[in-house]
Amino acid sequence: MARDEFEAERTTYNFVGTRPDRPDGIDKVTGRARFGADMTAPGMLHAVILRSPHAHAKIVKIDTSKAEAAPGVKAIVTRADFADGLDGENWNILENVMAGDTALYDGHAVCALAATSMLEARDAAKLVEIEYERIPHVTDVDKAMAPGAPVIREGADDGSVPAGMHPNVVRYHESGHGDVEAGFAKADLVLEETFKTEATHQGYIEPHACLGHMGTDGKGELWCCTQGHWNVQKVCAALLGTETSALRVTASEIGGGFGGKTAVFIEPVALALSRKANRPVKLVMPRADVFRATGPTSPASMDIKIGMTKDGTITAAKGVFRLSGGAFPEAPMEFSAMCAFACYDLENVLQMGYDVMSNRPKQAAYRAPGAPMAAFAVESVLDEMCNQLGLDPLEVRLKNAAKTGSKASYGPRFDQIGLVETLEAAINHPHYKAPLAEGQGRGVACGFWFNHGGETSVSLMLSEDGTAQIAVGTPDIGGSRASMALMAAEVLGIPYENIRCVIADTSSLGYNEISHGSRVTYASGLATIKAAKDAVNRMCQRAAAKWGIDPDAVYWEDGYAKPSGPNAGEFDPMHITEITANMGATGGPINGHFEATPEGAGVSFGTHIVDAEVDPETGHTKILRYTVVQDAGKAVHPTYVEGQYQGGAVQGIGWALNEEYIYGEDGSLQNALFLDYRVPVASDLPMIDTVIVEVPNPGHPFGVRGVGETGIVPPLAAIANAVSNAAGVRMRQLPASPPRILAALKDRDAG
Amino acid sequence: MYAFEFEKPATIADAVAALGGEEAQALGGGQTLIPTLKQRLAQPGTLVSLKGIPEMAGICVADDGALAVGGATTHATVAASTEYPGLAGLASHIGDPAVRNRGTIGGSLANNDPAACYPAAALGSGATIKTNTREIAADDYFQGMFTTALEDGEIITEVRFPVPEVSNYQKFVQPASRFALVGVFVAKYADGVRVAVTGASEDGVFRWSEAEAALSANFAPEAIEGLSVDADGMIGDIHGSKAYRAHLVGVMTKRAVAAAS
Ligand SMILES: Cc1cc2nc3c(=O)[nH]c(=O)nc-3n(C[C@H](O)[C@H](O)[C@H](O)COP(=O)(O)OP(=O)(O)OC[C@H]3O[C@@H](n4cnc5c(N)ncnc54)[C@H](O)[C@@H]3O)c2cc1C
Repeated sequence: MARDEFEAERTTYNFVGTRPDRPDGIDKVTGRARFGADMTAPGMLHAVILRSPHAHAKIVKIDTSKAEAAPGVKAIVTRADFADGLDGENWNILENVMAGDTALYDGHAVCALAATSMLEARDAAKLVEIEYERIPHVTDVDKAMAPGAPVIREGADDGSVPAGMHPNVVRYHESGHGDVEAGFAKADLVLEETFKTEATHQGYIEPHACLGHMGTDGKGELWCCTQGHWNVQKVCAALLGTETSALRVTASEIGGGFGGKTAVFIEPVALALSRKANRPVKLVMPRADVFRATGPTSPASMDIKIGMTKDGTITAAKGVFRLSGGAFPEAPMEFSAMCAFACYDLENVLQMGYDVMSNRPKQAAYRAPGAPMAAFAVESVLDEMCNQLGLDPLEVRLKNAAKTGSKASYGPRFDQIGLVETLEAAINHPHYKAPLAEGQGRGVACGFWFNHGGETSVSLMLSEDGTAQIAVGTPDIGGSRASMALMAAEVLGIPYENIRCVIADTSSLGYNEISHGSRVTYASGLATIKAAKDAVNRMCQRAAAKWGIDPDAVYWEDGYAKPSGPNAGEFDPMHITEITANMGATGGPINGHFEATPEGAGVSFGTHIVDAEVDPETGHTKILRYTVVQDAGKAVHPTYVEGQYQGGAVQGIGWALNEEYIYGEDGSLQNALFLDYRVPVASDLPMIDTVIVEVPNPGHPFGVRGVGETGIVPPLAAIANAVSNAAGVRMRQLPASPPRILAALKDRDAG
Repeated sequence: MYAFEFEKPATIADAVAALGGEEAQALGGGQTLIPTLKQRLAQPGTLVSLKGIPEMAGICVADDGALAVGGATTHATVAASTEYPGLAGLASHIGDPAVRNRGTIGGSLANNDPAACYPAAALGSGATIKTNTREIAADDYFQGMFTTALEDGEIITEVRFPVPEVSNYQKFVQPASRFALVGVFVAKYADGVRVAVTGASEDGVFRWSEAEAALSANFAPEAIEGLSVDADGMIGDIHGSKAYRAHLVGVMTKRAVAAAS
């Protein structure tokens, strides 16, 4: 859908921009909401997945005979129970869901069984005899691409990789424009530094869970917590060798996803067991399995080189980004590369990415995948350069900021964007002027994310009493049901409370892409507005028919059909309830529909300011104050927008200071528990202050831009800068944990 | 969890009798034991709850001025008490409100987790651990990680803390679990200073005698400047190396002295 389709439709709103109560609030606080593990079915079995304890091992033999004979056991599956002949991403997903002849990481699924009770299933799992032959492993991204590293999968290179690289390097990206060497030659200061970040988990509180029921005829039902049930439907059908339409998938209420529930991990296993046992099978992942086998981000190793003149003008920028997506070819290194310098209007820029395989779980998306680590590296170098040149870090960013019409570092020209506005708001924010005490430091950083549209279908159904239901296909991971209802209320002119938005299952609505790419309020929102307009058109037609005038002579305002002027005729406005009460007799039910692949998702920028205090004796960091400034285009429900900003900052604080996947020498994950892996909780944090900037997105009727991801892009950098400025030593590796900061301080003091 | 029988006696005598049964185990607040059972790492035949025994709950000041804390007293109750501020302060930072409202001092001392807080207070105060059969001096009670002088079926009925002139507990938390990565309890008595360190050593809670001597001579943070514990024998794990823990022992001790009241 082209942007020019939307003239600035509205400038004032009755509903959009208000903060009504969330529709799912009571369900969630009373326990009525049904999450993934809350579904049950008569005769249901309980499943357990057996996982490799080794980082890399040949699976020599799986002997299930004793387990099969154990009490209560109804089905056991291995790789042989899934489709063969798959290729591309479906093959990769299957290879992750159930190992083939090799276990590729600690926690890789190798076998699963279902029994009549959970305890029987667990007991029987101990009776499965699996013989492994360990082979050399590698988990570090730099070591994985060094000469001599064990090869994860021979021949996985997609053809883009420069000659002479290790076979674990499977994809290469390069983009940019201008001549960076010429740019560096013009600089007064050139700085080149190397950075490293570790993998982190999305940390959703709800573990993956599902209930699957598939008959021997290949027809089935699946209930699961997911960010995208049409994708689950498609993938499960492929992995089980059945037709997509044979499987109906219903998304449960979701207890956090952050990108990690865009992937399929356990659903095909539950269905395969169910098909074999001919009984419903429930599968709930234990927390340790969630850590070991789902969703981490890619660890990253990065080199950044930037040239700057004395007045703060960036003359050239170059970045190299090495990421590992685990034992699968999919690290989001091109997103790291493309986002790295996107905030700046640069004459000369070059960015390169390497996708490196290693013995880690298959990476999954985590809010703006690939961008936070790139921003950490780039914004750290900028901070250091501002320090060395004695320049204000926000003024320097403003001086170089990308604007409407700038050529983006990754290629296209920017449409209407709001980075400058976020920088100006940050510079003028009292936080930026507040004094700092001894031992405290301030850090700032900017961040960028593309945002996404994607395939979308929405139906809007009117009831006889003039209320409305909206069926959307994008699971609500950030309050989107409230936002849909607000946008529909705006178009229909009926109260927010009279509209109920539900997440339809795969059999009752057209295809919907996953809730990812910050696309839901943008794309489902656009489709909701269009569907509501479709319904409004039909209502106008009914009024026109009643009045005996041309439908074009009727317009809709505040819940009423009205004749468009004296020439149309003199009629009293007709309220929606009047139209819907008789709709059966005037032409039948009135519904609105819309389906499309909208392509006008406006890109989004943010600027963060953070103050931190470092304890020089322990290396411990305390976050004192945090302000997020981000462009939302138009905030439909500002409280939810602020929640997204705060959540991004908080997850960034965890990533910057605490969270990391720690692998032992043997390649096994050392901290697969919340007792060893801390995500920040309320008591760890100051209140996160937010500023919503609204520079409308021309690609959406109300100007909406996605806000779900950009908020996690600047925090790693902003916090690292605050910590570095507080401690007086540059932290180039995250997390900046207390022992790591203390060691850096000692190194500095030792000269 | 495996199936088990459950008993909730009202007297120490009945509890002791119940614990004499086969495969019986005491249950305090269950904050350690219940997760262990859930993971099927233990299989007691009977759980004997100590939470229904009035003579084991609550706090009072004994005739000799010592603070007597019943073995089934919760962390929350100790945290709210006023007689021994250093001890109350320590209890107020154990876990979270749910843990403090369930967990008990007897359970904590019986478990003797090397990263637990109470062992530092008991050893740092020279407390007496009273059981159904005897009295054990704290110096004899702690025998290494998860190991104590308790016999099978023996229960902690009370812990007696001599109340110091001033005291303080400083805990550097393990970032995820919030147990002590290193915790130091400092207590100044008329006859000298005691310093007990938890979380740090492979041998569990220990007294830092060099610091005790230095602080007994001069109760000031500077007194331990230059002193350090040997990194050998410290715990080294994903949250902190041996050297980092040894370093923290010095820092936390200084801070405890500075904060003592
Ligand atoms: C999330 C969380 C955080 C925590 N954080 C901390 C912390 O920061 N610092 C800290 O010190 N602790 C912490 N704990 C542990 C907590 O203090 C526990 O309460 C304590 O370790 C055990 O006490 P309990 O009464 O719950 O014992 P239980 O779990 O009931 O029992 C533990 C063991 O002691 C035995 N036992 C219980 N009572 C007695 C008795 N009176 N006599 C003899 N044996 C007995 C039991 O048989 C069992 O072997 C935490 C626990 C959790 C779950």
